[in-house]
Amino acid sequence: MSLSIRTNVMSFSIERRAALVGFGLLALVFVIGLLSLSIGSYPLGIDQVAQGLVGQLGGIEQMIVRDHRLPRILVAIGAGAAFGMAGAMFQAMLRNPLASPDVIGFTAGANFGALLAVVLTGSMVLFGALMGGLATAGLVTVLAWHQGLQTGRIILVGIGMSLTLAAGADVLMSMTDEQVAADMARWLTGSLNTRSYQDVSLIWGGLVLLLPIVGWLQFPLARMAMHDDIVIGLGLALSPLRLAITCTSVALVALAVSVAGPLPFVAFVAGPIARRLTGGGRPAVLTAACVGAIVTMAADLAARSVPLIQLPAGVFTALVGAPVLLWLLAVQYRKGNF
Amino acid sequence: MNQSVRLSADSVSVAFGDTPVLQDLSLALPDGQVTVIVGPNACGKSTLLRSLSRLQKVDAGQIMLDGNAIAKQRSKHVARALAVLPQSPSAPEGITVLDLVRRGRTPHQSALQQWSKTDADAVARALALTGMTHNAQRAIETLSGGQRQRAWIAMALAQDTDILLLDEPTTYLDLPHQIDLLNLVKTLNQETGRTVAMVLHDINLAARFADHIVALKAGKVQVQGPPAEVVNAAMMQDVFGLPCTVINDPVHGHPHVIPA
Repeated sequence: MSLSIRTNVMSFSIERRAALVGFGLLALVFVIGLLSLSIGSYPLGIDQVAQGLVGQLGGIEQMIVRDHRLPRILVAIGAGAAFGMAGAMFQAMLRNPLASPDVIGFTAGANFGALLAVVLTGSMVLFGALMGGLATAGLVTVLAWHQGLQTGRIILVGIGMSLTLAAGADVLMSMTDEQVAADMARWLTGSLNTRSYQDVSLIWGGLVLLLPIVGWLQFPLARMAMHDDIVIGLGLALSPLRLAITCTSVALVALAVSVAGPLPFVAFVAGPIARRLTGGGRPAVLTAACVGAIVTMAADLAARSVPLIQLPAGVFTALVGAPVLLWLLAVQYRKGNF
Repeated sequence: MNQSVRLSADSVSVAFGDTPVLQDLSLALPDGQVTVIVGPNACGKSTLLRSLSRLQKVDAGQIMLDGNAIAKQRSKHVARALAVLPQSPSAPEGITVLDLVRRGRTPHQSALQQWSKTDADAVARALALTGMTHNAQRAIETLSGGQRQRAWIAMALAQDTDILLLDEPTTYLDLPHQIDLLNLVKTLNQETGRTVAMVLHDINLAARFADHIVALKAGKVQVQGPPAEVVNAAMMQDVFGLPCTVINDPVHGHPHVIPA
């Protein structure tokens, strides 16, 4: 079932199921967001949260809601959405669920770049992450190139790259003094502790800029799920599109890494879950954004619910993602993709 | 014969590494006719079709579409003039026939104009022409081989082009489905006036459904013309190295090859 929408300047067809799933997920983002605002070492009622949001609560509770928990949750939603979209775009482009930026090293590259920027300059995190991500994307492409690009080779080279860069990040951490290292902890596994409104404006500003591009890329991406010959036959310019998609995904990853660290596997699990939900063999980039936001918020909520110790959210995203990775690797191996 | 021609190959050469596949090949596809390319394995049939549809880059020479080199034209512009169905295409899991056929509208769409009235009409027409209207909501993988191929042809038809290029459209189909599909192609050619070029393995089917046969050998056009003029024992020996007798098919009157 689909609905056609037509005006003078645009025309679309929207699948009913995709629309329902979209609204459902948005509602879930809202609900988990509210829960996250109320749950914590200092529990608050939903009514208090609502009052706190509009600024009528006052006192310490007001501060907890508005200055402590809200920025953290807004960063979780933004970073999760960015990871989710980047993952779904890459998986759709390479037609392989394993080909997400966190598996093939782009996230590790952005992370390494961010760390390097902090160590060398003390700032320029986003710039460092962007450069690190783009350099890694370039390097993986070059190393995997052998009479053209084959997804299986990109994945293997990328996993190697990912491990190397993670080790590099550890080395960087160990070389810095304790004070700085504490600031950089988020780039170890990914964490949402003590986020400020500076982080909120960075991630959401970036998302506002990139969303129109992502929306535009949805059109070719939906077609790129088919064989290259068919995509070319339909008149799409494959190489420029691949470049645009790669750059946009890396930018999304760099943004997310800048504010939340690598958050393992969020980009990886969001796409396949979104595809399952919407069905019909379509890449679901915007649905994946919602799934990414939900996974990240849930991981952060779980991390905060462990009493006494401050666990980073990345530990929980890895707990969910690693078994999925193992399973998909086994499936792909049996299909003979390696 | 004063034939108008929109798509042609002009001294085209293609090599894979050191192996030459097409050598200085020139060919014109007569407008409004069904051209069938035949030849022994590895003679360059598919490469020729892929070159004509700009899926394969040529090393020398030009593919000409409406008087201009196809490589110099915008891919989207080309996709409005010719549709190509590659050999055994694959679709993403779970995609429905309707969704697949809709993708054929891509060259007429943009990120903002994704589903105009014209698009909807063209898709409905393509489904009707291929007899797939009642299967529109089914997933591709649940269809039989013959129906699946019809769905792909519907996608190419939805593209609404004057030229249709098919690379071995009968592969993996049993004989009844091969006949069924070729009848469909012939009907489309006759009813919509589309120019069709396809690669076929079976010389007898080629003789029956082609207006124009092109026989390829070692990357060169060995002989071309109407089946009645081209398909004979000498050609079969020369191109395929097959000793045979050629009779007139008693039902349809086309040349019919009986291997010795």
